[in-house]
Amino acid sequence: MVSTLELPTPRMEEWRWADMQALRSAAEAEPRVTGLDPADLFLDLDGPRLCFIDGAFEPAHSRPGAVQVTRQIVSSTHPLASLAEGEGWSLHIEPEHAVTAIQIVHLGSGGESHVPARIVLAEDAVASLVETYAGVGWANRLTSISLARGARLMRSVRLLQDEGFVSVRDEAEVGEAASLVSIFLGAGGMGSRIDGALTLTGKGAFAEMGGALLTRGSQRQECAVAVRHEETDGSSRQIWRAVAADKSVASLAARVEVARGAQKTDGEQSLRGLLLDRTATVNLKPELEIFADDVKCAHGATVGELDKNALFYLESRGIDKARATAMLTRSFVADALSRIGEDAVREAFEADADKWLGGTL
Amino acid sequence: MTTETDTKARNAEALAAANKKYEWGFSSDIEQEFAPKGLSEDTVRFISAKKNEPEWMLEYRLKAFRTWQTMELPEWAKLAIPEIDYQDAYYYAEPKQKKALGSLDEVDPEILRVYEKLGIPIEEQKMLAGVEGARKVAVDAVFDSVSVATTFRAELEAAGVIFRSISEAIREYPDLVRKWLGKVVPVRDNFFSALNAAVFSDGTFVYVPEGVRCPMELSTYFRINAENTGQFERTLIVADKGSYVSYLEGCTAPMRDENQLHAAVVELVALDDAEIKYSTVQNWYPGDENGKGGIFNFVTKRALCEGKNSKVSWTQVETGSAITWKYPSCVLKGDGSVGEFYSVAVTNGHQQADTGTKMLHIGKNTRSTIVSKGISAGKSNNTYRGRVLVNAGAENVRNFTQCDSLLLGDQCGAHTVPYIEVKNPSAQIEHEATTSKISEDQMFYAMQRGLDSEAAVALIVNGFAREVLKQLPMEFAVEAQKLLGISLEGSVG
Repeated sequence: MVSTLELPTPRMEEWRWADMQALRSAAEAEPRVTGLDPADLFLDLDGPRLCFIDGAFEPAHSRPGAVQVTRQIVSSTHPLASLAEGEGWSLHIEPEHAVTAIQIVHLGSGGESHVPARIVLAEDAVASLVETYAGVGWANRLTSISLARGARLMRSVRLLQDEGFVSVRDEAEVGEAASLVSIFLGAGGMGSRIDGALTLTGKGAFAEMGGALLTRGSQRQECAVAVRHEETDGSSRQIWRAVAADKSVASLAARVEVARGAQKTDGEQSLRGLLLDRTATVNLKPELEIFADDVKCAHGATVGELDKNALFYLESRGIDKARATAMLTRSFVADALSRIGEDAVREAFEADADKWLGGTL
Repeated sequence: MTTETDTKARNAEALAAANKKYEWGFSSDIEQEFAPKGLSEDTVRFISAKKNEPEWMLEYRLKAFRTWQTMELPEWAKLAIPEIDYQDAYYYAEPKQKKALGSLDEVDPEILRVYEKLGIPIEEQKMLAGVEGARKVAVDAVFDSVSVATTFRAELEAAGVIFRSISEAIREYPDLVRKWLGKVVPVRDNFFSALNAAVFSDGTFVYVPEGVRCPMELSTYFRINAENTGQFERTLIVADKGSYVSYLEGCTAPMRDENQLHAAVVELVALDDAEIKYSTVQNWYPGDENGKGGIFNFVTKRALCEGKNSKVSWTQVETGSAITWKYPSCVLKGDGSVGEFYSVAVTNGHQQADTGTKMLHIGKNTRSTIVSKGISAGKSNNTYRGRVLVNAGAENVRNFTQCDSLLLGDQCGAHTVPYIEVKNPSAQIEHEATTSKISEDQMFYAMQRGLDSEAAVALIVNGFAREVLKQLPMEFAVEAQKLLGISLEGSVG
């Protein structure tokens, strides 16, 4: 199937750090038993639950509530997202209504799976969502998001597949005074590509996409996010952290676009990479494309190892080196995860990150 | 009347001198000074024959031409490049096809006003504008500077410095040229470097021997064929162990030029403990107010810091050209080598600039500094594009990058595209960027001190670009400051 696909190549500027070979091998992998129980992948939260196994809806572990399972027609032109056609889910929330703690679990056992999703929040509607990816194979997802005036969506996504590949594409329109926050944690053994195109279409809109990518072995994870400001007074944040160990590669590409006339835009980018080994690689690309003159767009990008002074300080207090390293790395990652609003979700994500650190350091 | 007689006499003199020059250079084909239109192997052979080049040079050019034919124009830059018909151009021509002007009165008054603002002497203005009567003055001026250059040449030769046009160098120092030509920018490097390698017309060759500190700033300006170097300039500078050289390229005055496509290649090599400082001021014709015409400037500039503790510093002030595509880079191969890039890029009208640098850290303890100031006005687009790469074996690398953008007006664009690729944890890489505009407070403050709006903008912009301008050699810095103000005229208020 996949072999007939035209996958993007590194010669394409937006894909120069992408690991399409890993995607191809994941898609071609024979299905196998993962031994994972979907029930263990849900957090202990009240709220709607959906489980997709190899891209197919699994009613036994689901209680969809307000979420509908439907087929979707995909209009994306993105090379991977355009493949995400078929059965998926959609969430429509009426004005001034709220649905929180929705959980979606994607469990793969090999091969490729495609699930489209659509989230539409009417005026002043509120929703929060947690997505978990586990298992193996290639999981390919497209999430289309549309937020009306004053709507608020908090989305937390964790990529915990043992191996394989996860490609996620978000396409969002954020209306006047609406707020979208999507935080990602890549702490599994898979390769990944987190792709985002967020457009601020209303005045005073807020959009944030960020997170932490933790890589080890020969794994490659990356994000490629573009936030586009089309109206005035919008603000956006892209806070990403990458930690790379062994021979792995973590790449962060983030772009802020300010359209002509989108004055008073406040765009913030912070991309930071931490290298744990001589053989690891971090790539950063903090990009600005600005067509308006009265804007505040600053970005900062740094790469390096842990601060030697901080390590020495902790060691001088009797904390051994391994633990000191873990503490400092944890706080490095916490910058990105602290953006998650719900305590229970944030703690779960931090625990996943800790587990990764425990296994790496 | 006397001036007219004078003029005639000097014209005749100049003509005689010019013919004499050809006698020395080429024994045949004096009449045919341009290759037939279009680009083919024959054109390449013609150029090579014209320059009496050795066999290896012709082979090099032909190989480059064949490579070029297999390559495609890169598309990643944020530039709208119109279709270029490479067959609809002359690849070798003495630049005589310029329309001769009778007097300065025929020159675009806009250009004259700029000359005046820059404080260029009237005779030099005539030369730059290509006024016919002034040709002889130009030739005189050139001959003046030849005598100057000859004096310099003696002084340089006493120091052991080789300063030649690249064609001369290919004939006189074939081994030296052959050793380094294409080593820093290989033919296959990119579309335009391959094109340049095939058809380069002329350029400069500099060799500074071991331990020599070049006794003066070298500049193309003094060279006899400075104005003939044409579209496809090729520059090669080699600084041997422990030497130092400072090289100035370009001219602040706007040049009239019929060649729309410019694809130069500049290669620098610094051996152990050597230092090269390369400064550019570029102010080619940017096109008219509707974006018609203007030069396409597609340049490949790269320095190889081959030796330990070597240093290369690029400084550029880019104000001209309709399209600029230029990334002066440093390959920091020697341990402890240092790369620097200081740039001011101004775009106004419909200009487009995609410029920046690459710092490739290969050696241990290598350091690089990037300071880029982009100023956009009118309907122009200005992009900083940079790449900082740290290889796995490069221990203790330091890089600091700062790119600031200044937007004048709400119809222009300022973009920043930095790539940071790090494979060694001991590296410390920092990147900062800001985008701002000239605030009303700043303008009000300057204007209530009696400055008009244009002077106020010029003052503020010069302050914005100060970090870069102070890197320029003195005589350049003063002119560059004036130039910034002129380039931005009419963009505010």
